[in-house]
Amino acid sequence: MKTEDRFDLPQGTLDLLIMRVVSLGPIHGYAIAQRIQQMSREALQVQQGSLYPALHRLEYKKLLAATWKPSETGREAKFYELTAKGRAHLKTESENWKRLTELVGLILKGTLEGVS
Amino acid sequence: MSWLRRLIYRKKMEIDLDKELRFHFESQVAYKMRSGILEGEARRLTRLEFGGIDRIKEDCRESRGTQWLESIVLDIRYGIRQLRKSPGFTVVVVLTLALGTGANTAIFTFVNAVMLRSLPVSDPQRLVVAEWSGRNRPHHLGTSSFGDCQDYQGMRSDCSLSYPMFQQIRDQKNLFANAMAFAGPVQLDLSGNGAATMAQGELVSGNYFETLGVIAALGRTLDSEDEKPGAEPVAVLDYGYWKRAFGGSPIVIGRTLRLNNSAFTIVGVADSRFTRLTPGKSVDLWVALTQGTELGQVWTQRADANNWWLVVVGRLQSGVSREQAQAAVNALFVNDALHGAKPVWTAADDPHLWLLPAQQGLTGIRSEYGKPLMLLMAAVGIVLLIACANAAGLMLARSAAREREMAVRLAVGAGRQRLIRQLLTESLLFSFLGAALGALLAYSGAAGLEAFFSKNAYSPLRLDLEPNATVLLFAIGVAVLTGIGFGLAPAHRGARANVASELKGNTASATGHRTGHRLDLGKWLVVMQVALSMVVLAGAGLLLRTLNKLHSIDPGFDTRNILLFSINPELAGYNKKQIPDLYANLQTRLAALPGVVNTSYSSDAILDGGLSTEDMRVEGHADKNTVESQMLSVGPDYFDTMKIPVVDGRVLAESDMSSTQLAAVVNREFVRKFAGGRNPIGLHFGGTDPKDPQWQIVGVVGDTKYESLRGANGPTAYVPLTAGGATFELRTAVSPVGLMPAVRNVVHEVDNNLPIIRMRTQSDAVDRLLFNQRLVARLFGLFGALGLMLASIGLYGLLSYNVTLRTREIGIRTALGAQRRDVLVLILRQGIVLVIVGVALGAAAAIGVTRLLESLLYDVRPTDPFTFALTACILIAIGLVACSLPARRATRVDPMAALRCE
Repeated sequence: MKTEDRFDLPQGTLDLLIMRVVSLGPIHGYAIAQRIQQMSREALQVQQGSLYPALHRLEYKKLLAATWKPSETGREAKFYELTAKGRAHLKTESENWKRLTELVGLILKGTLEGVS
Repeated sequence: MSWLRRLIYRKKMEIDLDKELRFHFESQVAYKMRSGILEGEARRLTRLEFGGIDRIKEDCRESRGTQWLESIVLDIRYGIRQLRKSPGFTVVVVLTLALGTGANTAIFTFVNAVMLRSLPVSDPQRLVVAEWSGRNRPHHLGTSSFGDCQDYQGMRSDCSLSYPMFQQIRDQKNLFANAMAFAGPVQLDLSGNGAATMAQGELVSGNYFETLGVIAALGRTLDSEDEKPGAEPVAVLDYGYWKRAFGGSPIVIGRTLRLNNSAFTIVGVADSRFTRLTPGKSVDLWVALTQGTELGQVWTQRADANNWWLVVVGRLQSGVSREQAQAAVNALFVNDALHGAKPVWTAADDPHLWLLPAQQGLTGIRSEYGKPLMLLMAAVGIVLLIACANAAGLMLARSAAREREMAVRLAVGAGRQRLIRQLLTESLLFSFLGAALGALLAYSGAAGLEAFFSKNAYSPLRLDLEPNATVLLFAIGVAVLTGIGFGLAPAHRGARANVASELKGNTASATGHRTGHRLDLGKWLVVMQVALSMVVLAGAGLLLRTLNKLHSIDPGFDTRNILLFSINPELAGYNKKQIPDLYANLQTRLAALPGVVNTSYSSDAILDGGLSTEDMRVEGHADKNTVESQMLSVGPDYFDTMKIPVVDGRVLAESDMSSTQLAAVVNREFVRKFAGGRNPIGLHFGGTDPKDPQWQIVGVVGDTKYESLRGANGPTAYVPLTAGGATFELRTAVSPVGLMPAVRNVVHEVDNNLPIIRMRTQSDAVDRLLFNQRLVARLFGLFGALGLMLASIGLYGLLSYNVTLRTREIGIRTALGAQRRDVLVLILRQGIVLVIVGVALGAAAAIGVTRLLESLLYDVRPTDPFTFALTACILIAIGLVACSLPARRATRVDPMAALRCE
């Protein structure tokens, strides 16, 4: 069982992933980690050491809101959901990301063609 | 306000954070168990995956904005718990720091009062004071000055101006919003408020208060009407004086007082915040300067452009710079000085009138005490360094005990930065506790110092010692700096704890590599303390030797058992004819007091801060040339009373006081310098004006010091005292202090309206002349002793710790046959080497800095080897004592016990 990420996530990417997962509905920290792992087809594993500070940071920035609710096992868990501000933020950040990856892809492709 | 709420709900948030992470942990364990792993194994694996849970929590806290605040609160709480855990240690460190910061704050309070405090008037930055300078001293001039400005280079610059010049400056309405003038304070005989007392009165222009922007606390202040000639004489009281002398009674307004025997009406009390203009000067009341002649002050001639007596302070018109105004008034001044009715300078003298910011220009006691205060500030700075080094040494020794704690905290994921911060918070806690206690010490220290200053002042001294923002900032700054200063090294060391070896329970590491380093640092801290103590003590030693030398100077008369007091009957309304009778009457009555051997009086007491000299011609001595001689007017029995030996001829007798024969006595130096080998008896001397009396020498007496103990004896002429104020001298057979009440009674019986000015003993008067030396010597001695005490504690602590570390080694040595003496020498040597290194370094540093004391020294070089050697011996002796205690303990180590404890 490996505990490190398969990829080094670029700065700020984790926040985006978390917000994306949270946008699907109220969810607690453990499930967020699980969901990211599933959605990345087991390629991404988020460490607790980065997940929770990120969650608290987003909560502090008022992008996420949290409530205590019983979880599926019956134990109380802290559920996060997007705030209106968070939703808007996710939207712009996703678009930025899409544009960035397209541009980076374009350049990488161009360079590769030029080289080959 | 969410950070505040978070801070308040910190506990709840901590619980939530813990709950949240625990939930994650349990979920992960459950997940693993579902895939068939046993619970124990699942937990172990999960724990591994999690890593340091405290680290995660810390990061979570950090990602919220309140992290710094929360952790500071946590650190402080934790720190307080640490402090309470070892109260003995806490007390020692806090006391050490309290001594350091207290001494600094006390001296700084003085520096602040004398040098830094801004003028307690409105908008003081716009105030300027006029100060003149010239290459030579001005001619044809009468000047009076009251120590408002530094008197540079022998009367070549000062800030007294004539009344006409003041009027010209005041009329520059385009430059000055207002300009006022003042002179004084002068001693005024005040009656009409109980027994007659002396009050310090300042003569001021009518717009004095208006210019300064000072309002009345009660009644009114002076205005320009009061300055007009013929105006009703009125006085405004100082707030403090009103409280002291009138009990703060509001009905004083309208009351009539007699000042120097003329009636003045009290019209108001000045604002309580207005405590001073010139640093150190104490003023009890203000009257208009036009009342000078009413008060018998003949030097207050207003019409004479060559009588310079007023300090002029202006408030610049808004938009006018100091330079602009200066250029304009300088032109006026130079024109008057060179082309006035009686020019006082020639163009070659290059006269100037400067406008200085009032804060800088009005120096007052700053010029006298500035230098000693700076020296004291340096000395207390050194004491603070010693205290810091001492506290650092103690902290360092303790950090050994806490190494395990640090290792544990590192192991559970605390960052090293975080640990350093924690340790620094603890040392800051110490330093703030120390500073708080130090503030109390500073308060009583400053009060004691003020009493010492006041006791030695010729005129009442006024210092603003109430702590203000500057002092507070200073104390806080010192606390922060010391906290960081003594906490940094141990903190750095503490955060370097070696996790693995500490947690293995490796007690052997106590004698290992790192501990060696710590001892090194501890050693250097002790060396530094000894060296710094050496510097201060060497300074104290040099000054003590100076005082010793000054005291062993023969003043030419017997200074012991003389009581002095002064009176000024002219101010109380006596006329010239009554004064000799009064003095004769007093002399007879005082001489009759039990315990009084002899009584006389003179115009001034010698070695009491005063000096009067006169230009004269001496018969037969190069007749055209004038010579300068010291003068003293004396009553009968003067030489007997002072025990000044008679060398030739006779002394002045009762009959000489009123005789027309004009008999005088001179000293040996006078004869040597001016008699030119002839028999002095019968020679005439006197002032250069034909109207001046020409005295005939009837006797010669021994030389005495007059103005100061330093320097050679000057020529002195003694003539009969017939007018003016006098100082009485009483030669006593008993302690002169005990006679003071009886003497007071006699004066009051003779005239209840005759206030006594400054009753003191001759030895106090001599001590007063040595005030700066005594002040600096005393405090250097005190600070040096303090430093030495701290250094001894540091040395003792270091060696004790070392003995504890080496218990096993000492045990083995003893078991192998080492004698007690060997063990004693082993430890003593270790300590004394540090002391010797410290003394050597300190001596080297002292050679570099004692030069700063040079102006205070007399007949002692700043590098006096005797003083240095003696100081070094004292330090080494005290170092030996400090070492001997732990060394003795080492000799009592039981080898069996020492070896078994491993």
